[in-house]
Amino acid sequence: MAAIQEQLAAIWKLRYFWLSLVRMDLQTRYRQSWLGIGWSLLHPIAMTVVLCTVFHKLFGLDLREYAPSILAGLCFWNYLTTITTQGCQCLLRGEPYIRQYPCPIAIYPLRVALGGMFHLLVALAVVIVLKWCLTGFGNPLALFSLIPALVLLFVFGWALAVLAGFANACFPDTQHLCTVALQILFYTTPIIYPAAMLHARGLGWIVTWNPLAACLALIREPILAGRVASLHDLGLVAATATAAFGAAIVTLLRLQRTIVFRL
Amino acid sequence: MASIELENVGLVFRVRRQRRIPLKEYVLQRMFRSSINPIVEVRSLQNVSLRIGEGERVGIIGHNGAGKSTLLKVLAGVYPPTSGRRTVEGAISSVFDFALGFEPHASGRENIRYRGYLQGETPRSIRAKLDSIIEFSELGEFIDTPVRFYSAGMRLRLGFSIATAIEPEILLVDECLSAGDLAFRKKAQQRMRETMDRARLIVMVSHDLEVIRGFCGRVIWMEQGRIRQDGLAADVIEAYWSSSGKSRPASDAGTLPPRAA
Repeated sequence: MAAIQEQLAAIWKLRYFWLSLVRMDLQTRYRQSWLGIGWSLLHPIAMTVVLCTVFHKLFGLDLREYAPSILAGLCFWNYLTTITTQGCQCLLRGEPYIRQYPCPIAIYPLRVALGGMFHLLVALAVVIVLKWCLTGFGNPLALFSLIPALVLLFVFGWALAVLAGFANACFPDTQHLCTVALQILFYTTPIIYPAAMLHARGLGWIVTWNPLAACLALIREPILAGRVASLHDLGLVAATATAAFGAAIVTLLRLQRTIVFRL
Repeated sequence: MASIELENVGLVFRVRRQRRIPLKEYVLQRMFRSSINPIVEVRSLQNVSLRIGEGERVGIIGHNGAGKSTLLKVLAGVYPPTSGRRTVEGAISSVFDFALGFEPHASGRENIRYRGYLQGETPRSIRAKLDSIIEFSELGEFIDTPVRFYSAGMRLRLGFSIATAIEPEILLVDECLSAGDLAFRKKAQQRMRETMDRARLIVMVSHDLEVIRGFCGRVIWMEQGRIRQDGLAADVIEAYWSSSGKSRPASDAGTLPPRAA
């Protein structure tokens, strides 16, 4: 416990450093783009338009419900893929600092998680505006339940970035394996199709016990249905985030001193 | 009281003979227990014990691969000892490679902030030093250009200017007094001397024995990862010269270190 407190104190002491790196990452990404921050939304919005057109024709889905749902799904998925792929690179990217300054390794995944969360917040604001324009909100108070949901997603994202960073520092094919795993998960998580479709075909267990589907429910339910997500979904996300956080802390405590030898 | 103490410190690098091993290969090896890419152990430091106290200026000398820079990184806490114990009292500032650790897409001015924050500065303290750092680096209007467009010399000057703007308690320096061109080098040596004057404890690594003699009162001679000799600068440098089978330059004869520990 003392070791964790010591790490937290060191991370806080270096707050100006990692916060300025996050700011720089965001500035660098949008500096040369006249679309600015909208550039990061272009991909999910374009995907939403294409999928809405196709799925509306194929399954006759109601676009006013489907469009905000799919946009929310794609924004969450962007968060997850950004965290995983940039997380894989975070220690290699921080190598020049790690080789010169013995500071807590946790700040490098933190840089990735904070950047990813910023984009997710902007994207969710767009989803909320879209939903409001299309059908309005039945229960705006439910939006407050997004706060604990986003805290859990941030903790999960940071832990994922830690694990991906250490794994990639030890095994150089980690990023490739993560890309393959994410592709499989994309189709087993109700991002581009409604979860009800799986339930109707007897595959509901894929959604029920999929932590990523629960993460989606935590975001979608308050925005799209105007209600707080179920306790089952909240519990599943909390358990997943806690497990990932625990694994990240153990990894940091065991490997952070010697990771410099692997870079 | 600033101090650093190492007790029987050893450092072993465990590296794969060929490259970093992919996860797929690692799993297969675990299954069949036949390694085609074995781990090789490199003993970089062995049984190193030393104590450096308040006010000391210590130089580390030795041939390439003797373990000088590795020892400095162990003192800095970058490399954890694989055996023995390291005890440090005081805040460490290290100056290892000026050209490393820049964010290439950010401007020189922004990089001053990042490096400053990493060295423990706050936005207020770095604001107060910003102009003097820019002036010393001689980068002029290029300070607002992204660092990826800088030449190696420009990066070096910027890195040196940032690193020496700090108020160090324990200062660890590795081969850095040859920064930049001749004019800048003179200025850099003067600046380094001022930085060292402010530090309470200094350890520096250099191949330049003149520099070591000028800055340090005590010298540690490293050989094959062990301390070969530890003592007064004049004695150790003399012994090092003798062992190399070379005669000292005439200018060296009778020179005493200007600053005793």
